[in-house]
Amino acid sequence: MVKAKKNNVVTKMTWTKRLPELQFLILCTVCCYAFLELFITPSQLSGFSGLSGVDLILLSFLLSVLVAIISVIAGVGGGVIFTPLMLAFTSIDTLIIRSTGLVVAMFSGLVATGPFMRKGLADIKLVFLGSLPILTGGFAGSVGAIYMAQSMGDTGDSLVRLLLGLLLMAIATVFVLGGASTEYPEHNDPSKLGRVLKLRHMYWEDSLQKPVKYKAHNIKTAIGLLFVVGFTGGFFGLGGGWAVVPVLNLVMSVPLKVSAATSGVLLAMGNSAAIWPYINVGALIGVIAAPWMLGQIIGGIMGAHILASIKAAFVRKVLIVMLFATSAKLTARGIEGLFGISVPLI
Amino acid sequence: MPTKRKPPIPVSGVVYGEIIYWGTCISALLVLVGTILSFLETGSSVSVSYLLDAALAGKNVETIWASSNIQQVPNISFYISTWTNGESLTVIGIAAGVLSVIPAIFFSSVYLWRSNNHIFAIVALVSGFLTLLAPTGWFSP
Repeated sequence: MVKAKKNNVVTKMTWTKRLPELQFLILCTVCCYAFLELFITPSQLSGFSGLSGVDLILLSFLLSVLVAIISVIAGVGGGVIFTPLMLAFTSIDTLIIRSTGLVVAMFSGLVATGPFMRKGLADIKLVFLGSLPILTGGFAGSVGAIYMAQSMGDTGDSLVRLLLGLLLMAIATVFVLGGASTEYPEHNDPSKLGRVLKLRHMYWEDSLQKPVKYKAHNIKTAIGLLFVVGFTGGFFGLGGGWAVVPVLNLVMSVPLKVSAATSGVLLAMGNSAAIWPYINVGALIGVIAAPWMLGQIIGGIMGAHILASIKAAFVRKVLIVMLFATSAKLTARGIEGLFGISVPLI
Repeated sequence: MPTKRKPPIPVSGVVYGEIIYWGTCISALLVLVGTILSFLETGSSVSVSYLLDAALAGKNVETIWASSNIQQVPNISFYISTWTNGESLTVIGIAAGVLSVIPAIFFSSVYLWRSNNHIFAIVALVSGFLTLLAPTGWFSP
């Protein structure tokens, strides 16, 4: 899986070199933050000794770049790292964190959509097949999250932390056991629905220097699973990169490279509906979300470059440890909030 | 040297990708301008330092906005009507990136229809309408 991911991102690396508009965007972002840091002197934030608003924005941007790099290398969406960490270790309102989490989960996928489609790596038919369950699931999830926050208040927040802690533990466990992904899955049972929908495609595999054909299978199961992934992503603000790739690759027997590219495109579309309920209740605060959005775009590109020269397996292990630690903290905070029991965890 | 020809890439996918790609790039520039404006403007109705302080203090969304100068929870209409404000422009920038998905879906559905993928063209249209409805807030609690 790691090898395939590496191939995928090396492909991304080559397209970044040919895109002056992205280089221009990176330059503008760096100049913007340098300008703010050098020429603006806003008041210091209360509770943060010596830290100003500009410092915090710059810090968020740098953290977002780091999160994007780790998520690209580890092959997960940025939301899986951002949302749990913020929910576990800060006291920022959960709706603000979850809306920003959706921005984090969405924008690296949005900017990658063009190159993936140009290369023929993302399958447009699979994108639209998954679009309805992901869109409706994501939207239902975000509406549910807001309803819960409005009706349950602090209890709802604690419940969200506890549930996310448990979900994160499950995700980390899947990563530990997740050696089952196959680069070119084979499936002997032809799918009737897949045949009717003509869900067969071909893409050019650079590493083999030949086209690879595939057919999608288990369509109904995959649609059900994608709805669940969409709901979870919208409810927790996680996105769903951790789950869509396995659904496409293991359930539908789509090659890993196509699964990874299609997953990014699909989630960008799905989260585009899920974000609106948050925006319309004022939960998306621009000044907080902006550096995270820009960091995802730039960090995603940097991650692609770095991947070629480091051991991705090591980063994946670090991510697994981080997911387990964050899930323990989230579960502890959830239990504290719900039952008033003090759990001695950092 | 490749021994076989590269397969053709569907136009519907390329159209979809290009619209979103350029939409995202433009939205990122809007967000940058909005961020700079947020820090430059004085006497703004939505002060950056207030928002950051309130959010970091753990106040909930309603309290943050109720205690601000605007004294109401903003929605997309508010942001559009105050687009010259840094915070509003930043949110509009993010929203523009998100909204780029909508024309991409509709244009892509046209090309899917032309290439005889009628079922997917219809699914794309339904997805497009759902995405179009989301910003209206009709289904929001």
